[in-house]
Amino acid sequence: MTPLHRFGEFLRQSLQAIPLPAIRVLFLASLVALLIWVLRLPRSATCPPGGAKRWDENLKLGASVALLIQILIYACL
Amino acid sequence: MLLAAPTPLTLPDYVVIALYLAGTIAMGVLIGKRIKTGKDFFLGGRRLPWWAIGMSLVATDIGGTDIIGVGGAAFSHGLAVANFEWIGCVPAMIVGAFVFIPFLYRSGVYTVPEFLERRYNVGVRSVMAVCWLLFMACNLGIMLLASAKMMSAVFGWNEVACIVVTAILVGGYTFVGGLAAVVYTDMIQCAVMIAGCLLILVLGLIEVGGVGELRARLAEVDAREAAAVNESSIVTDDVGAAKSSSERTSLILPADTESPFPWPGIYFGLALILSPAYWIGNQAIVQRSLGARSEFDAKASYIWGALLKNIIPLIVAVPGLIAVVLLPDLKSGDSAIPNLIGVLLPAGLRGLFVAAFLAALMSSIDSYLNSAATIVSNDFYKRFVDRDVSDERLLKVGRITTVALVAWAVIFAFLLTAMSEKSGLYAIFQTLMAFFQGPAFAVLLIGVLWRRATGNAALISLLCGIGTSISLYALNQPVIYAALGWEPLFRIQEPFLYFSIWAFTVTAVLLVVLSLLSGPVPEEKLKYVFGGHSRATSTADSSTATEGGTS
Repeated sequence: MTPLHRFGEFLRQSLQAIPLPAIRVLFLASLVALLIWVLRLPRSATCPPGGAKRWDENLKLGASVALLIQILIYACL
Repeated sequence: MLLAAPTPLTLPDYVVIALYLAGTIAMGVLIGKRIKTGKDFFLGGRRLPWWAIGMSLVATDIGGTDIIGVGGAAFSHGLAVANFEWIGCVPAMIVGAFVFIPFLYRSGVYTVPEFLERRYNVGVRSVMAVCWLLFMACNLGIMLLASAKMMSAVFGWNEVACIVVTAILVGGYTFVGGLAAVVYTDMIQCAVMIAGCLLILVLGLIEVGGVGELRARLAEVDAREAAAVNESSIVTDDVGAAKSSSERTSLILPADTESPFPWPGIYFGLALILSPAYWIGNQAIVQRSLGARSEFDAKASYIWGALLKNIIPLIVAVPGLIAVVLLPDLKSGDSAIPNLIGVLLPAGLRGLFVAAFLAALMSSIDSYLNSAATIVSNDFYKRFVDRDVSDERLLKVGRITTVALVAWAVIFAFLLTAMSEKSGLYAIFQTLMAFFQGPAFAVLLIGVLWRRATGNAALISLLCGIGTSISLYALNQPVIYAALGWEPLFRIQEPFLYFSIWAFTVTAVLLVVLSLLSGPVPEEKLKYVFGGHSRATSTADSSTATEGGTS
């Protein structure tokens, strides 16, 4: 066993000790955090230069739908 | 096994395939008539709309072998392979859309290596350009060969003819129409690909009896397999059986799973490193958004792509699970989708799936071809041979390079055919991107986030990061660890996700440490750091004001 192997074994055992439901929370929390960030973006970052003339020109909507689908998928599967 | 022979195609199948190919080639040639300059050829004249780019992004990402390989991986390892299309794409595309893509677009570059020279130095640009060119050139040959092998096995077509005909068709419209032809043909290819794969999914679910029935019958298959394993006493504990049963339809697998997709690799290696590296730093991907008609179109293309990405695993991975239920006696995952086509699709509709397969194949090859030509023309010819080259001359260079790359890809595909798959070279070329993507992303990310990162530190840490990936790959080869008297460093199959984590970490740590030991970064480089442009401008303004005041 080299020091690399010992370090790898330590990491492996540490990661195995984390229960899978906690991992699911980590995946979901990351996606939720990203969704919150998207919702808080200023309109200048998500709309065309002259402002959104139609509801679908605000990219927040598309990005939020894509992330909500992800959250649903990772909550269920 | 229900079907072992190649799936026979009938006249209506060939008509569908011919219509698809004729439509694609016609579109490519029509677009080619508008190409007059290098900017038209490499960036579509910066006139591309978001909806075409978004579909092109998705089509480029799914290769011909993926259509069959992802379903095969789902058959063998379960739904966890879908992580590569879900958490391995969508979050990075959204962050890319709002943060990195507008930044790269505003900088006005043609290539990612060009951006790296503006931020760091010519050394970093050259190393990255060589890495991408090497990867793309080799990957072109690999894609041609792997797809030809698949077409030969599935449809009984001649392997050599498949390589040559695909190369000529894709090379032809890429030569004529450049990036615009690539993007607009990718759009058709994306639609055909989704339609063909959706057909398999819908017919498969009808055959099985719906989603609920699919889940119930997967549980039955798992219970049968667990009982068989227990009876044969290969594995005696019930925990192992229960683990495999729940893993089939789960996206999050434990760290000690036997599949190649444990959660630490998926979360840290894929979602946090390889995926952003791919969607933000891969020249073949980023180039089409640099050709958008506006910054808003560049952003919107990534969001549209992210929405489409949500459905891809349903149409390419779930058929693998359907095959588990309908064809439980299959021995190899790779034969799952071809056999499913034979069982589910009547003559006539098989042509649509073949068109979907060709669409996926062609959309990836044309993108890598055009991007490799862009790198040769801009990062080598324009940078080192003729800095004052005219845009018209650069168009000629791009087209000549395209022809040369097609010829190289065909020759390389034949060379690989001549090599034994046991030589290991084929596997090395397949994992080539994993060697440098982690280090490349570390250099790009820290470069745009941290004003203190210096060019020399970036170059040294990039080379060390690539060296780390290659060393880990080598140390994990049985011949090498056995010779050293070691155990393997990684216990999962194909640990490329772990290589990227360590290579990224080594590069990032070295870049920070070496930068702190180096001198200050020149002011003109800070324009390429987030917030750097406004800061550089305000610094210039204040110094001008001071000078004015002094005078």
